[in-house]
Amino acid sequence: MIDHAAQAKTGSDVAAADDPQGRPTFWGRVTGNRAYRALVAVLFASPRRQFLILAAFPLVWVVTQHLGPMLQMLNVSLLESYPLSAGEEASLTFEHYRKFTADGGLFLKPFFRTLTFGVVLTFATLLITYPVAYFLARHVKRENQLSLLLLLLIPFWTGEIVRTYAIMILLGNNGAVNLALQWLGLVERPIPFMYTGFSVSVGLIYLTALYMLLPLYSALEKLPRSYSEAAADLGAGTWTRFRRITLPLTLEGIGSGCTLVFLISIGYYGTPVLLGGPNTTVFAETIAGFFHTAGDEWPTGAAFAVIMFFTALAMAGIFTRLIAMLRKGDSR
Amino acid sequence: MTRNSRVFLSIVFWAFVVYLFVPLALMILMGFKDSKFIGFPIQSWTLDWYLGVFEDTDVIGTFFYSLAIAVASTAISVVMGTWLAVLLTGRRFLGRGAVYALMILPALVPGIISAIAFRIYARQLGIEPGMGAIIWAHAVHNVPFVTLVVMARLSTQPKSYAEAARDLGADPLVTFVRVTLPYLKPAIIGASVFCLLLSFDDFVRSFFLGSYQPTLPVLIFSKLRSGMSPEINAISTIALVLTAVLGIWAERSSRRMNKEN
Repeated sequence: MIDHAAQAKTGSDVAAADDPQGRPTFWGRVTGNRAYRALVAVLFASPRRQFLILAAFPLVWVVTQHLGPMLQMLNVSLLESYPLSAGEEASLTFEHYRKFTADGGLFLKPFFRTLTFGVVLTFATLLITYPVAYFLARHVKRENQLSLLLLLLIPFWTGEIVRTYAIMILLGNNGAVNLALQWLGLVERPIPFMYTGFSVSVGLIYLTALYMLLPLYSALEKLPRSYSEAAADLGAGTWTRFRRITLPLTLEGIGSGCTLVFLISIGYYGTPVLLGGPNTTVFAETIAGFFHTAGDEWPTGAAFAVIMFFTALAMAGIFTRLIAMLRKGDSR
Repeated sequence: MTRNSRVFLSIVFWAFVVYLFVPLALMILMGFKDSKFIGFPIQSWTLDWYLGVFEDTDVIGTFFYSLAIAVASTAISVVMGTWLAVLLTGRRFLGRGAVYALMILPALVPGIISAIAFRIYARQLGIEPGMGAIIWAHAVHNVPFVTLVVMARLSTQPKSYAEAARDLGADPLVTFVRVTLPYLKPAIIGASVFCLLLSFDDFVRSFFLGSYQPTLPVLIFSKLRSGMSPEINAISTIALVLTAVLGIWAERSSRRMNKEN
């Protein structure tokens, strides 16, 4: 519809100043206006100037708004104190980075717990969603695929906190899981699922599964079925076909899904606070602790955030390289 | 494919659907329970919790506060995201890769780090915690999602459309407004709804950049910290229904627009 309208316009009336009755159109009036013409003549005088006008504001935006916050975080992490008191010279120090390993591993514990959580949960999410994506892409009729995908999307439109609350109700001592277990006679007393690594994991997988599912689905959906069929004709069994054909050809989707889920899952703050306990403190909570006060501990919090960011980026980078190497190895 | 693996896959698929929906269904059910105590079994039912929410001016105020933030931040994200998409799909230029990387950066920074960085930068810019700060943080965070969606649509537009308009004497501005923009409409509507939902549902940025007035997720979070109650179920259910309806509507309308093309 829109295309036809656009085509019709390009064909006849984009530049036309008058409608069929000879009256000036809205766009005719605009483009016929002398001030507008003068402005256009100045703005679009040369392709170079056109490009400058197109590029200037977005460039300023990405540098000041996208990069700026990260650079300022880096800057604050190196300041002796923040905010500076009046007349104080800014002095740089690595002191706040040193605190990371100090205090007998007080901060290292949640840090490595977060990374371990991130890696294990990413792998678990992959194992759970791969068969789901595979079923959707291969065993569902094409015209039904989008409807089922929409069905899977609905819970993901709901926010982090609402979905975390839903998990709290599911896993509580009077929650549905415990009730079902007791009713089945499998347990005498409710199992304390809540405030453990288990409840945090269930919650985080619940929140991030979609970011794995979508790249996997689009990779599987693009893969021609004929590849597997050809392999089957040549006598390859189900497992061989999956291992030798489907898996290598969906490595790219696996790579982007895993990277996304890892980066997103280590960044959650509200969910581990609500679902976790004292033994599951994640690094997000450690960092947040430095920002609950007015400002004197901000440099330490910023330093820890910088450490976490670069560690996460490095891990994601190594993983992406690994996937790329695997893909190359397979195509040889 | 053997029958066994087919059966296995379909069991996994439907188990996954159950995993996604059962927690939300239980949460909705619990909002109708006639008792302050969250948990099974449910002996009697009531609508009082919902009536209470509609009479609670704090909750209603918070709802409209979140909505205003979502609308304002979406407007900024859509303009900047579309502008960046046009720049990045246009002619190649030196440093295009770097601009692309910077464009996508806010989407890749883990939530807590993004919130902290925005909090520090807001102080640097002199933006007080509160509505303005949240709108700004949501707007910057959501730009990459708009750019990616619009870039995907823009790359399918035949070059001849804009060229024809230019041949007929339209200047670049008119060409953009009357040819390119109508072509991008489905992408822009889809991206807008996505931004609205992202902003309305966001917790971590709203939490660190907000003042005493909470957004809806922050309100639910602080209520949860002082204990579960069916009132929270009622608030959450209302938020869930609204977001789901908006999401489904956007999905259906963008699919319809794509079909018509």
